[in-house]
Amino acid sequence: MRYFVVRFLQMLFAVWGVATLVFLALQLSGDPMELLAPEDMTEAQVEALRRAYGLDQPLAVQYAIYMKNLARGDLGISWTSGEPALALLASRFPATLALVTVALAIAIVLGLPAGILAAVRADSWIDRGLRFFSVLGISAPTFWLGIMFILIFSVTLGWLPSAGAGSWKNYILPGFTLSFYRIALFLRMIRSTMLDVLSQDYIRTARAKGLAERIVVYKHALRNALIPFVTLVGLQFGHLMAGAVVTEWIFAWPGMNRLALNALFTEDRPVILAFVILTAVIFAVVNFIVDVFYGLIDPRVRYA
Amino acid sequence: MRRLLVIFTLIAGAALAQKPLVIAYQGGAVTLDPHMRNETTTLSWQQHIFETPFFYSPDGKVIPVLAKSIEQIDDNTWKLYLKSGVKFHDGSPMTAEDVAFSIMRAATHEKSQMKGYVGKIIEAKALDPTTVLIKTKVPDPLLPAHLDHAAVIPKAYLERVGEAGFQKRPIGTGPYKFVSWLNGDHLNLEAFEDYWGPKPTFKKVKLVNIPNGATRVAALLSGEADVVEKVLPQDFARVERSGTATVKQTPGIRIIYIALDYWREYGSEGLPDGAKNPFLDPRARKAIAMAIDEVAIVKKIMGGAATVAEQFLAPVHEGYDPGIRRFAYDPKAARKILEDLGYGDTNGDGWLELPTKDGGRVTFKLRIDAPNDRYLNDAKIAQALASMLRKIGIKAEVNAVPKKVFFPNMTKGHFTMYMAGWGSMDSINTALSLFHSKDASGLYGRFNRMRYKNPEVDRLIEEAAKTFDKTRRDALLKKAMRIAMVEDVAYIPLHYENVIAGMRKGLNYQPRPDEYLRAFDIRPE
Repeated sequence: MRYFVVRFLQMLFAVWGVATLVFLALQLSGDPMELLAPEDMTEAQVEALRRAYGLDQPLAVQYAIYMKNLARGDLGISWTSGEPALALLASRFPATLALVTVALAIAIVLGLPAGILAAVRADSWIDRGLRFFSVLGISAPTFWLGIMFILIFSVTLGWLPSAGAGSWKNYILPGFTLSFYRIALFLRMIRSTMLDVLSQDYIRTARAKGLAERIVVYKHALRNALIPFVTLVGLQFGHLMAGAVVTEWIFAWPGMNRLALNALFTEDRPVILAFVILTAVIFAVVNFIVDVFYGLIDPRVRYA
Repeated sequence: MRRLLVIFTLIAGAALAQKPLVIAYQGGAVTLDPHMRNETTTLSWQQHIFETPFFYSPDGKVIPVLAKSIEQIDDNTWKLYLKSGVKFHDGSPMTAEDVAFSIMRAATHEKSQMKGYVGKIIEAKALDPTTVLIKTKVPDPLLPAHLDHAAVIPKAYLERVGEAGFQKRPIGTGPYKFVSWLNGDHLNLEAFEDYWGPKPTFKKVKLVNIPNGATRVAALLSGEADVVEKVLPQDFARVERSGTATVKQTPGIRIIYIALDYWREYGSEGLPDGAKNPFLDPRARKAIAMAIDEVAIVKKIMGGAATVAEQFLAPVHEGYDPGIRRFAYDPKAARKILEDLGYGDTNGDGWLELPTKDGGRVTFKLRIDAPNDRYLNDAKIAQALASMLRKIGIKAEVNAVPKKVFFPNMTKGHFTMYMAGWGSMDSINTALSLFHSKDASGLYGRFNRMRYKNPEVDRLIEEAAKTFDKTRRDALLKKAMRIAMVEDVAYIPLHYENVIAGMRKGLNYQPRPDEYLRAFDIRPE
């Protein structure tokens, strides 16, 4: 119980820190009215608009008001749309969550077995082939990959839609674009940890006592290799939720990363702040879930 | 045979009625409250749902929409007569009460971004069900045109559901009614059966935001979208080659221009330290204009997706004077002008020179400031300008930065020579914002960043701004523009960006100069 309370307080502190940092950093980007106020308003009208958004107040007052509202769970009203920033994010959150889940699922389903295969058949031609692919996957830029997928599968072959969400078909191109790097990443990491574990003494013992190779690999070796893997998947989940910007942009995906990017372009600070705070919360929650998972995989963590 | 054709057409028509017309934009509407955000894409989407008393036709004429006519009572008073039989999407009739309320909301709501147009209005009230009395604080000869930013919404409905409720289910008088949307991403619309005007061809319409240019073209070529805006010049050939789609262009009203430091003799930030600013003299500004080969820019950098600008205003604008032409491209004469002004090369290194405050001479270096993410090929144009200026002996270099950095610096006056764009249908607004000198009250010269100032031009613009007679106003603007562009070289015009749309074969659509893209302007061929 105490553990949960401490974790929760840590999370609150992290969110406050992040919110403060971003709040201050946004001040450096200059006068928001430059992008917010239309060109055809007179200067007097722009000043009136500034007052309407409370931007005529001293910075300390603006910060105090923001923090007071934040404490109440009020993340402010979007300057461009007039809707609550949180409601805007909430309307985009499911699309990002769904896409990230699909991408991670693809990456796990393809990356994990490929990694095991590469480790078990280390230095065979299969291993070399997979390693070649992983270099490709790690280094291919998302932007290029996305455009290539669109050109091949949407324009030339006409099999899959290029933009938007709607049917299951819409998930395939952005899902693979996002997972490409992760497949390679998972493959590499599973391969190296598996190789590491397979050279341990207890694996030699297991083999020596005549266990089937299948059991040695999957029950003894893989289980131990999974611990860092789960951490990595958790981290990647957090990264993707807040970092699928390019993919959402290219595929016109109605997710929250694109919303945040637009907010950045239009100086819609309440939405930028809300996005950053939500991201901090997601990371905290994911870290927590990863900790729980450790317990499931590694009994030592559970009993400690 | 003919019967077969009829059946075929019916089937095709039924299929068309099922599948929505899909239009892809570079952005998306961020609000469906029509008085809040004054930005082209947001307004484009909203114009399907809402209408205004007046609006511009594609050739720049102000035409009545919800208005039947307007009558001027005195300098500050107007009577607006409304069409009868106009209905809102909930079936209620549009009344003068609704129109008066909407005008006042656009004019006075604390977050309204329409005040640049209707902010002079101090009163609007219904005299009878089809007449609205409008009073302005100061005379506004362009009031009818300015009412193009006063979208009419149902007063009773807004008061019942509140602003948040209105955003969830907006109601207007437009040819399409709201079905569903995701803020900033897409908007589903359906034809309004009781629309007062010509019924739209497409029963269902879906407006989508596809921010990436290559994806937009892919969506057009794969048939996901029927019309897409802003096809990039490098994709023109690919679209035409596809055989299934085509590209159409119209010269737009957005001009890309150059401004030069008009107020500092020393300390201009794009020149070497201590160098004298040569651009206080109109002859030096003219030399820069003559050094620019705009035809080459349009052809080689813009890929034909722009139109050479002869002057600041476009042909659709009031005050456009066909007699004003750009200075002919002549790099030799340009260099000669600068040499004659005393900026010639004395040390024989080929570069022109500038005198310094302490009596020395320095190489004529010049920083060209430009955004790199705001206008079509902006950074590339700036590079071309630099190489053209280098040809006449000015050691020019480019500082192209994101718009978030560029515009605040432009406001603060950190530039000697910058490239930017301007787009407004309203010539008076353009003249007041860029050509009138800056005044303390903040009414004039908001975008006159290089502080161009000519009392005669100020007077002409102020006079035009309160002249009701269209012919006389036009003449005053022409006179002001002739002085500013020809004698003073207040700005150097480059080109108008073309408005570009790609569409599948079988559709007939010509893009509007003001960039508004609406489903009801699209027809089957």
